[in-house]
Amino acid sequence: MTMGLADLIGATLLVLGCAFYGAGTVGLLRFPDVYNRLHALTKADNQGLLLVCAGLAVLSGSWGVTALLAVIWLLGLTAAAVSAHLIARHARHGPDPGVSAEEP
Amino acid sequence: MTIGVLVDVLLALSLVGLSLQVVTGRALFRDLVLFILFGLLIALSWARLGAPDVALAEAAIGAGLTGALMLMAYRRLAAGGAADVSPARRRPLLALPVAALAGILVAIIGLSAQGVERVPDAAGTLVLQELSATGLGNPITGVLLVFRGLDTMLEMAVLLVALLGAWAVLGAAHPGRLHQVDRETPLVSALLTTVAPVTLLIATHLLLVGTDAPGGAFQAGAVLTGCGVLLVLTGTVRPRAAAGLLTKLLAIAGLAAFALIGVSALALGRAPMTLPGMWAVYLIETAMMLSIALTMTLLFARSRALGPEQR
Repeated sequence: MTMGLADLIGATLLVLGCAFYGAGTVGLLRFPDVYNRLHALTKADNQGLLLVCAGLAVLSGSWGVTALLAVIWLLGLTAAAVSAHLIARHARHGPDPGVSAEEP
Repeated sequence: MTIGVLVDVLLALSLVGLSLQVVTGRALFRDLVLFILFGLLIALSWARLGAPDVALAEAAIGAGLTGALMLMAYRRLAAGGAADVSPARRRPLLALPVAALAGILVAIIGLSAQGVERVPDAAGTLVLQELSATGLGNPITGVLLVFRGLDTMLEMAVLLVALLGAWAVLGAAHPGRLHQVDRETPLVSALLTTVAPVTLLIATHLLLVGTDAPGGAFQAGAVLTGCGVLLVLTGTVRPRAAAGLLTKLLAIAGLAAFALIGVSALALGRAPMTLPGMWAVYLIETAMMLSIALTMTLLFARSRALGPEQR
């Protein structure tokens, strides 16, 4: 099996994306509170999703698939942003906000 | 050993591990989240088995909708102060033998299925041979609407009975009061204006491609239900105490369209449940999608009808 340049780039992007997912998961497990965990999870996972989608787009070699993957990435971004916001908001208004009271 | 086999083995092991965790879990909420994860892995497994139709339905219903329902139930339990009650820690003596016997049973079925030879005239191969006569490109839709149309129609009846049962249990009580997301949050209304149209688009797409590719009324209905759940959760539509004519018509639309077209074949001198053409396929699928989405959204909202917010 020979690997063309496109395959190599696609595979590299996929592996990089998985690395970001891995980092996000480590952050989720290791960080101390809700806000830090959300930060790690959403930031790293959005980047991971982008890289994975980009890798798949390169591997597919088709503009149609690329457009679909772009839509998937955007929807993923939207869902992640809103759910992270709602979780953080819930934690902030909950019984244990877990942050100091130095609000502007 | 190829990577595919490795993924399958990992998937199978995770499924067993997750199900163990769910059953023996310590906290209710954790069990719920793990169960949703379990549904997603099951959907992946169906995809690996080459059944994208089932995978789509499982992801939307098994993981998404069931998860939302269970989280809603958990919220009600928590509001009543009952959610802290952890599941029983007792381990009945019978559990292990029953589990072992069930495992042996599954192993026997699996092993005997391995040795089964393909019968030349089995239903599956016949369907694939006869599919071109139906004008449908997707064998799943062919089976659901043409070859086993009666079964699918009865499934719609089951869904309707479930809704009627839920209405009976609701009784004369006021429509369910739901904890709603604060719509003042700018992100939530932004999410609504983006996701609701996209959901409609995806549902329509799934419905239309269903004749030739993975998709169809059940998947489209499930996706549409997702939109309905979002509207209910954000308080864009509110539960109503009484079902109007439109709600009732939509609830029976799938069953009625199927039954009317199926029976009218008799009047035309054909076998019952014979579909007169592709227009009938689209009509029935659309009606089924609407019924499915409405029924499941109503079940989720615990109400008889839904309507825009009244001022």
